Order: sequence, then structure tokens, then C-alpha cells
Amino acid sequence: MYYLSNVKKIDLSVSEDQLEQIGREMGLGLNRYELGLIKDYFKRLNRDPTDIELQSLAQAWSEHCCYKSSKNLLKRFILSDSSQGILLGEDAGIIDFNEEYAYAVAFESHNHPSNVEPYGGAATGIGGVVRDILCMGAKPIALIDSLFFGLPDRDKRSKFLFNGVISGIGDYGNRIGVPTVAGIIYFDEGYKNNCLVNAGCVGIVKKSQVVPSRSKEGNLFVLTGGKTGRDGIHGVTFASAELSERSEEDRSAVQLGNPILEEPLIHACLEVTDKGLVDGMKDLGGGGLSCAIGEMSFAAGCGACIEIEKVPLKEEGMHPWEILVSESQERMMLSISPDKVDEVLEIFDYWDVPATIIGRSLPGNLFIITYYGEKIYELELDFLINGIRYDREIKVREIKEEKEYFDEPKDYNSMFLSVLSSLNICSRESVIRRYDHEVGGRTILKPLNGGIKNPSHGDAAVIKPLEDSYKGLAISAAINPSFMGINPYKGALSAVDEVCRNLVSVGARPHSLADTLNFGNPEKPIVMGDFYESVRALGEIAKELKIPYASGNVSFYNERSQIEDSQIVPTPSLFGVGIVEDIRKVVTSDIKGENLLYLIGDTYEELGGSEYLKIIGKKGVVPSVDVDRLRRSIEAVLNGIKNEIIISAHDVSEGGIAVAVAEMCMGGGIGADLDISGIKGMRSDIKLFSESNTRWLVEVKKDDEKDLIRTFMECSVSIIRLGETRGDRLVIKDGNKDLLNVSLIEMYDTWSRMLEKIIL
Amino acid sequence: MSKKIGILTMEGTNCEYETFFAFKRLKGDAELVHIKQILGEVKNERSIGDYTCIIIPGGFSSGDYIRAGAIFASRLSKIKDEIIEFIEEDKLLGGICNGYQVLVDLGALPATKKTISDEKEAAFIINSSNKFECRPTLVKHVNNGKCLFTRKYKKDDVLLFPSAHGEGNIVFRDEETLNRLISNDQIVFRYVDDKGDYSGYPWNPNGSIFNIAGICNNKGNVFGLMPHPERVFYRYMHPDWTRNRDIDRGDGLLFFKSIIDYVERY
Repeated sequence: MYYLSNVKKIDLSVSEDQLEQIGREMGLGLNRYELGLIKDYFKRLNRDPTDIELQSLAQAWSEHCCYKSSKNLLKRFILSDSSQGILLGEDAGIIDFNEEYAYAVAFESHNHPSNVEPYGGAATGIGGVVRDILCMGAKPIALIDSLFFGLPDRDKRSKFLFNGVISGIGDYGNRIGVPTVAGIIYFDEGYKNNCLVNAGCVGIVKKSQVVPSRSKEGNLFVLTGGKTGRDGIHGVTFASAELSERSEEDRSAVQLGNPILEEPLIHACLEVTDKGLVDGMKDLGGGGLSCAIGEMSFAAGCGACIEIEKVPLKEEGMHPWEILVSESQERMMLSISPDKVDEVLEIFDYWDVPATIIGRSLPGNLFIITYYGEKIYELELDFLINGIRYDREIKVREIKEEKEYFDEPKDYNSMFLSVLSSLNICSRESVIRRYDHEVGGRTILKPLNGGIKNPSHGDAAVIKPLEDSYKGLAISAAINPSFMGINPYKGALSAVDEVCRNLVSVGARPHSLADTLNFGNPEKPIVMGDFYESVRALGEIAKELKIPYASGNVSFYNERSQIEDSQIVPTPSLFGVGIVEDIRKVVTSDIKGENLLYLIGDTYEELGGSEYLKIIGKKGVVPSVDVDRLRRSIEAVLNGIKNEIIISAHDVSEGGIAVAVAEMCMGGGIGADLDISGIKGMRSDIKLFSESNTRWLVEVKKDDEKDLIRTFMECSVSIIRLGETRGDRLVIKDGNKDLLNVSLIEMYDTWSRMLEKIIL
Repeated sequence: MSKKIGILTMEGTNCEYETFFAFKRLKGDAELVHIKQILGEVKNERSIGDYTCIIIPGGFSSGDYIRAGAIFASRLSKIKDEIIEFIEEDKLLGGICNGYQVLVDLGALPATKKTISDEKEAAFIINSSNKFECRPTLVKHVNNGKCLFTRKYKKDDVLLFPSAHGEGNIVFRDEETLNRLISNDQIVFRYVDDKGDYSGYPWNPNGSIFNIAGICNNKGNVFGLMPHPERVFYRYMHPDWTRNRDIDRGDGLLFFKSIIDYVERY
């Protein structure tokens, strides 16, 4: 009984106010209603709960763990019958690759920790998403990170967060040997004091070796990896509330990362998977042991009994509840049959990764925890895991979009250079160089395309996952927060359109999507309104395109401050995976020679949220998507690439045609002589800078021009000849009106140095 | 006589598979071997004498939190006598990136006087840019024939070997050491720009003196190289391969071919 001084019984037969007081003091993050449910539950059992039971319920019922505000809407729009091709959807989605193999996809947010401790928060975000892939039995082969910050040239905090996050990702990803191949860096005032760190990972696994995230009756729970400490306590309840000035004090909620434990953990987990020794595996992420064991058992329909004193600890004197909810990193829970456990322990010993038997799976539906023989915890898994769901109040905001009048620029050259050097368009090279993007030797298209002296942005990275197959995976991320800020519905449609454009640009057929939905406080109807519009759009367009969501994550409570209307820009960040039939056929964005340049798709006066109008200070109309046209265009561009008619392709997005052609020219070190008068019915600056969706620029040899035109006619997709690629200047006219005439050197200087100047 | 090539790993090594596959693609008799096997700490023991060539691949051994390669080197120094014997039997000991750092920390490179120097002749410091650098780099093969790892390359060949490291700036004990390396024909690769000239950052990604990218010992059978030939085995692994699709072979292939040829004749 000596040990039981570490476990407190809590009397819940008190008033509602006192109940709230208890919740606050224990850091549970539960509201009155939820505490009331718990009170009633224990009243029925006719006993008082222990602190460890309450803490465990608080983890399981947190927004982060149980999606209580989002689940109903996700079910309605995203998860409904779009599951074709998905073999399994657990910690990561498993999708068909070829006869023998599947690929795994996971995408997670790590926003709250990164705002308190950017280096550790971002690093452990990478570690966590890698383990999401690993626990499916898949080998992690590529990382993606989409990052959103306030303006680093205006506030020091944003600059600090930016530098910390970049270093954290680099130091962790580089050390574990998984290449960082794609992502987004976006700057907007709307992320001030609340940056977003979304990390994604892609893995490859033999279909016969996919490991489910569930236990099995009669099996042992083997806890492997790092020791358990006080770091990362209350991580999920912390992530399920708004950050405040006091959040700095919650540094203990941020986990510490150790990539050199993760690296052998990867080897050991893959070896036991390869030898068929594992029945179930789950990463210990949010909610720690509590959630991992609870969810593994619930999924298997059996109970669990854990001897919590067996968990290896980093420090002495930890209370059982702390052990149960700690989110210490680099830990993995395995469900192992008793006759295979010795072999498993031996393999982990070989890799110098600790592994300990801490309990077993039992029949029934009870989760029991003992502490030196005393039962300190007994909950029904139904109550723990199937907790609560809310239909939050939704208020869809009124969208005010209209074409606004502004003067045509007098000096196109200088306007163009301002757009080209804006924070969201300028070169990402200085960040890309800090991540190892080709460790593993599988990165066929790297984040930068073109000449090695003057590389430019590619549209999607391409990975060759298997040694003996030329089949590849293309990976790309997309979201335009400026569109989202004006019109969440059209913004979310545009994100899917852009992901598809990016994948198609390299010759990949869009195959699956992953979404991380970053929003403000869901208790605000306006936030839920934005959320509703976003998931509605994401669901509708993906369904029409028949592309499934393989993995997803919701991060609420992203607020810049505690004043009204301080939610971040709604940010459903996406990444997409495409299939490349033969990696030797992929194309890049850089201009290859003296050829012709064509514009694919239709241009409208859609400047809402464009980089151009942001400079001018107007809002305008956000681009919309014609899904049918998108589908036809995808086919046409893929045909053009497959038949080797298109030799370079680049999607048209931020900065419009002007920026897209500039990037192609810079990467190729070859200029262009263009006339945009083929685009009709609008002013020259609108033609140049409109960000209408479903458009590409393609380079084609003069001899192949007829084939190109035929390819697109067959799919009823419009194409316009813009001119020729040659020389060392970008020259653009609109009929007999001269617009741009800039040298490649000047463009490259302006574009390539900007980020470095501001950040480093 | 054994012909095996061992790819030596420990926790934090992370370029072992691509290095292994580079040999396998050329029908080399290669296997992965963990340092615990070499040190007899596990059941499936190996001796370095079992191999004709040992390659230490890239990565962050033990996290490289102290000094790049220091912990790996310290673990290897437990079998220093066996390593000396291995080198003196004219077998091949090579290191790429982190492996190069390990060999320098161990004293097997540049080793201008003894097989393994007792005092440090060289060390790696953090890149002159103060950052991790993942970028394509060009190196010129400047060796006059001493290095056994690069025999298939012609003198003055310029090759694209990508770099990815944070501590790649080699510094020497004194000027005399560098001069001895030059006069001994121990310099193997030097960073150059796209015109083939010796240039500064970013062509020299780390600030190494004399633009040194790779060196060998005085016998030519211990070799260290900072950039990664295994990352350019096939042309489609080059960063700019879509600009010229007529070539099949990556620039790194002949490095592995040179090793296999030597091992087969050994």
C-alpha cells in the first residue's frame, strides 16, 4: 500500500463549480458537461475515480484524440465512400502501389508545441509522423512539411519561430535518414503568434506485411523505444485549447526528440515486421500509453491489463498518471504473441533499443492498470474511447467578393520584380538546402529543377520506392491561405486543383490525398462555418475526381490571441501522391531549349487573394474550379507527357503566368519571347498575374506542335501559343504593347536571394 | 580468398542501403555488417579480416552530437590492431561523408607517416556557411594514380557528386601536412565550379582548404570522400538529368566499379 500514496482518489460528488475547479487544477481540459458525464459514470459504478482514471479520460476525450468537434462533418464529407483503393486507414493510410507493394501516407499537425518551442516541436512532429508510417510496418521513404508563419520581416517572434522550426526539421529528418522532398512555406499576417507545422510522411510496405494498429487477445504488450519521462505531459489537452501568454509555462507539454533512438527503432520495427513476429503496432503519440493501449484494444474488441510499474522511466518519483499520459518520444507499442516474444526482445536488443513486456490483452472490454499488484484503474473501453461527439454550431460567413478597380501598372518591369520577390513567391532554395532531400538514393525529381547553377522550383518530387521497379511516387503539397481568407469553399477547391496540377506537371496521375485541417477555436460558430465550407469543398471535388483521402488530421484552437476574431486563416493544408508509371519519363519545369511555349487552360479575371492584388492592396474574386474541365485537362497533359510531346511543364499558381514562365526560364537558363494577346477580354496586367486554376505552361518542340494541339483538342481543353523560348531575357508583349523586358540575371538575383536576406 | 565487401554500420548510419545497392547492381559481393558484429558483441560475429573491402557509409553515427564521426571512430579503435593489419594487407578501407569523418578521426586518414597516426593530423569543422548543405557539387579527379578507389576515372574528369553535410570543412594540423598530402599524391578529388575552376562557396560547399573533397592515405588503399557517389549511380539520380536524357550512367558508378575490380583481382 506504500505505493498507493502515488495514486489519489478524487471525490466527484461535488457541485458543478467545484467539479470545474477540480478539472482546472488537474489540467484536464474538460468542460462541465464532460465532467458531468464522468461523474455520472462513476456514480453508477458506485466508487470514486482515481487521478489516473480521470487523466486518462481527459486524454481520450481531448479534441486532439477523439475529433469530437470534427468527426461528424468528416464522416459526412471526407470519409464517405471515397475509400476506393485504400487498403487500411489507421495511423497511416495504406494504398495500393503495385501487385506486391502498397504505399503508406500520414499527415499530422504539430502546431501548439512548435509555437512554444519551435525547434523541439517541429523535430518531434517529424519523429511522430515517421512512427505513424512505421507502425503500419512500412519503411518511411519521404517527408513533406507545410509550414505557415507570420511575417518574419515585420515581427521578431515569427522570425524566431521560422528559424527554430527549419532547424528542428532539418536536424531530425537529416539524422534519421529520411529525405525531406516537398512542402510549403507560407507567410501571412494571419499566422502571427500561431505558426502551423504540418508534417507528412510516405512509406512503402509489402501488402502481406501490413501491421494493423490493434492488439490481439492473449498477446503481450511490448513497449519499445525511449524511456518515459515527464516531457510531453498533457500534450493533447494543451493542443486542444488556445495558446495564451501563459503557454510559455507549458514547456513541459512539449516533447523532446532523440533522432538517434528513432533511427535504430526504425530498423528494429522493420525487422520484426519482416520476420512476421508482430500482430499489432502503434506509435505512442498524443495521449501516450493511455491512448495507444486504449485504441489498440478497442479496435481489436478485447480488453487489456497493464502493470504500469514495469514501464522504464527517465526519472524517479513519477506518479502512475504521469507515466500513463506522458508523451515522451520514440516509443512504439507492439502486440506480440507469447511464443514470439523472446525473438522480438532479442531483435530489439541487437539494435540497442529497449523493449519491455508491460501487460497483456484479455477477453472482455475492460482496460485495467495495476501498480505493484494493486488495481488503480479500471475503465470500460467503450466509455474511454467512444467518448463524445459534438455537433458544434455552424455559421457560414457571408462572402463579399467583387472585382475591384485599380490602375494598370505604368512600369510592368518593376511590378513584375516586386511580385517575383514577394515572400510567398521568392526562391525556397535557402531552406531546401538545409534538408537532405536525397538520402536513400530514391529521389528522382528533387525539390529544385534545372541547371545546378540556377535551379528553380519544381512542381512535385518523384521517389522511386523499389530497387527493381521503375514505378514511382510523385509528392506535392498545396494550399493558398490567401484564397482561404476570402472564400474557404473556393480556397479548398483550389487546393485540390493545385495538388493535381503539380502532380500532373511531372507526369504523375493523382492517386491519393492527405489533409491536415488547421482551424481556430471550434466553439466559435464562425470557425466551424469555415471548417464546414472547407471540408464540404474537399469532399465534393475529391469525390468527383475519384481521389481518396488516405490520411487526415484536425488541429483546432489555433488562435493568434485571446481577443475576438483572432482565429488563424482557415488552413486545410493538403498533400497529394501521384503514380508515375515509369520514372524515366517524368518531366521538369525548366526550359530545355529553343522551343515553343504554350498556355494550357482558361484565364479569367480572378485576382482574389493573388500576390499581385496583395501588393496593390485589393481583394478581388478568388479563382473557382470547373471540376469537369480539371479532369479533362489532367488527361490531356498526362497524354502529352506520356507521348513525349511535352518536354517541360509547370503549373500556373501564385503570381500567375508571369511568375510561372519566369521560374521555367530561370531553371533552364533560357529566356522567352512571348505575346499574350491570345488571351482575350482583359487588361494586360490581369492576363499576366491572374491566378485562375487548372492552368499549366508547357514547352514543346516546333516539330511536335501539331501533335500538341491535337492532344488538347481531343480532350476539349483550350491551349494558347504564347511564343518561343530563346535568348537570355524574358520579353512579354500584349499585341503591340510592350510589357516586360527583363534579363535572366536580374530576375534570378531578385528572386533567389530574398528569403535569405530576410530570414538568415 | 574472400572477396567480400562489407558496408559497416552503427546507429545513425543512414546511407547504407544505397551504398549496398550500388555494389549489388554491379554484381559485387557486398553485405551490411553492424559494428556490434565486428566487435563481437552479438551472436552473428564477423571479423574485418573476413572482407577485402570495408566501406563506412554516410549518416550521423550516434547523432554526431560530439564531433562528427568521433563515437564511431572510438568504437573502432578497440580493434585498432586488426585495422592496421587490414590496411597493411593492401585491402580497401573507404569512407563516404560520415565515413570519411570517421576515418579521419580514427587517424587512418590522411596518415601521412604511419598506417594509423597517433596524433591527429586533420579534423573536420563546421561548414564555412555555418549550415547543413545539401547541394549538387562538382569534383575534379586530380589523383595521379595512387588512389585505388578511383582507377576507372580519368585524371581531370569533372564529376557531379552531391553533397549533404554540416561538418565537411577539413583542416590540417599544419601547412606541412597539406604539402605532404599534395606531394604524396594523396589528394583525390577537389571541388570545382561549372567551368572546372577552383572556386569558393557554394561550389566548395564547406570551405575546405585547397578545395579538398576527398583524400587517400599514402598507400592509396584508405580513402575518404565528402560528397556521395552512391547518390548518382544512375543518370536519373542526377539533379539535372532531365536536361540531357541521352546518358545512362551516373557519375558515381565508376567509383563502385573501381572497387569491385580491385577486390576481384585481390
